[in-house]
Amino acid sequence: MPPWSDFEPFIVSGLALGGVYALSGVGLVVLYRATGVLYLAFGAVGAMGALVAWSLVQAGAPGWISWLVCIAVAALITLGYGLLFGPPLSKRDPLVKAVATLGLTLVLYGVMDLLWTTSGGEARSITLPTDNSGFTVASIQVNWTQVIGLAAGVVITAATGAFLRYTNLGTAMRAMANDREITATLGVPVRKVEAAAWLGCGVLAGVAGLLLADMVALDATTLTFLVVSSLAAVLIARLRSIALTFAAAIVIGLVHDLITPITSLTNYRDMTPFVLAAVALLVVSRRQVMSRSREEA
Amino acid sequence: MRIRAAVIVALLAFVLFGIPQLFSLYYVDTMTEVAVYSIVALGLGVLVGRVGLVSLGQVAVLAIGAWSAARLLFATTQPYPVVLIEAGLITMVAGVVIGLPALRLRGLYLALITLMLAGAITIVLDTINFPNGGRGFLGYNGSAITPPAIRLPSIAASDKAYFQYSVVVAIVMFLLVFAHIRTRPGRAWAAIRQSEPAALATGINVTLYKLWALALASFITGVAGGLLAGASHYLYSIDFPAQNSIILLGVVLMGGVYSMWGAVVAALLYQFLPALLQNWGVSADWLTILFGLGVLQVLTTAPAGLADQVPKDLARLGRLLRRRLARAPAPAGGDPP
Repeated sequence: MPPWSDFEPFIVSGLALGGVYALSGVGLVVLYRATGVLYLAFGAVGAMGALVAWSLVQAGAPGWISWLVCIAVAALITLGYGLLFGPPLSKRDPLVKAVATLGLTLVLYGVMDLLWTTSGGEARSITLPTDNSGFTVASIQVNWTQVIGLAAGVVITAATGAFLRYTNLGTAMRAMANDREITATLGVPVRKVEAAAWLGCGVLAGVAGLLLADMVALDATTLTFLVVSSLAAVLIARLRSIALTFAAAIVIGLVHDLITPITSLTNYRDMTPFVLAAVALLVVSRRQVMSRSREEA
Repeated sequence: MRIRAAVIVALLAFVLFGIPQLFSLYYVDTMTEVAVYSIVALGLGVLVGRVGLVSLGQVAVLAIGAWSAARLLFATTQPYPVVLIEAGLITMVAGVVIGLPALRLRGLYLALITLMLAGAITIVLDTINFPNGGRGFLGYNGSAITPPAIRLPSIAASDKAYFQYSVVVAIVMFLLVFAHIRTRPGRAWAAIRQSEPAALATGINVTLYKLWALALASFITGVAGGLLAGASHYLYSIDFPAQNSIILLGVVLMGGVYSMWGAVVAALLYQFLPALLQNWGVSADWLTILFGLGVLQVLTTAPAGLADQVPKDLARLGRLLRRRLARAPAPAGGDPP
């Protein structure tokens, strides 16, 4: 077991990573509750946005424009998919809707691999100006990007909670999560509310893509499959509670990074989300019975 | 029915004896992979189409089969068919052990848990590596510069013979699945897919038959892994990336999950098309894009896939042509509107 001081920097990076997973997870839960779609292309659209931003920076665009474009690209692709494929699939099983977003994932993955080929070992990276400045807490180096990562997770979770609780649009989304038909009968413009949920999820995908491209790597495959980590948090929360999603995401981020200095386990650290989600799901499912509501089937 | 059987026999004869003669070694090797992956696609088709279990981790299951077979082939001098069956059984046990608790989950949750487990298996394989003739339980020798190749069956030591060997194994696996679908398990699966509570009410042991499907699919995927071990000569963990499970599900959905031909179509899409494009110098990324669009198209408009859609479309085209031809000789008569 390495000394405690080896673990200290990983607490900070783990919290930051957990924060980004949390904001991704919140986006996934809100979209799932409002539309019934588990958006498996979340990582791929984020990666797409980040790669477009990278190209803009290479072409000489100022940083802040590229960040906005990154978010806009992810948001527009997500909204476009939602408007195009949301209605025809709205009556289908949640599983079919989720698999359809895998179709989008494959399309985006192919496009990214085609346009930003990763041969020749040229490593792309996005660096935010907050990477190089920071401060020290109890002899641990903290940079501002890590602060942004954690803060974004906290703020987004709290803001989404308040939004769902206190605004009309949020109330409509919660109503649709319960029953789409009845909500429509009550005069809620179902399509518009769904479009808002798609747009919001897309914006979060863009933010997550940008932050993860900086914190982890700017690589289509890595970013596309990082969504699986936030998916694990969402699964632990049973696709319901955003508070639980946040907590699970932080735990996953922390455990993942804290394992890093332990030599015998470090190769297996990427298994953290899978193992935690699998254990949590299997424990929770022990209490399940045969009959259950339609939306969960 | 007799005509159909004759067509199938003629087709198989062509595949077995025609392809090794007519095609270059490049395409014979490709067709070996097609035979292997048609078994994998068949297993996934059974899960998705017969029982309604979507697995996002079949490539990881295939990797377990390939790993076990490679280890056995290096460690023992057992005949090939024995090794294939053993690899299938090991994979089956792994699949059932993983599946038993996961079967409590349904639909979306089950699909996602398979994605998680496949990710975990991929990471383990990345770390322990595939056997390459080394010592110990894992059989991996990290310092081997020229590791020995995985041995081939003595009756099929050349690439062409190994292709025929793979096709024969694939036929046996298809017959095995066919026998299941046509008998009691197949009927039970159909009932479960329609409605689980109804199947339960009619006295079908839902858990048993779901596990049975999982066991069958894992077994044949494990056998396919064993074939793949021989076909590739050397195995590396990068040959089994997690994203391939998603592409595999995509092509299986495109091929069609309700017919056994769908598995062949899926394998051709998955292995033959990329080889063709590579030969033409076209990037395989176009295929990934095409598969993505195909998944969206299949899910929105054609749930039974290409194996169902193409014959229907051809029949419709045939009817249209016949009507046109029937109308053509009598232009002066003035067709009724």
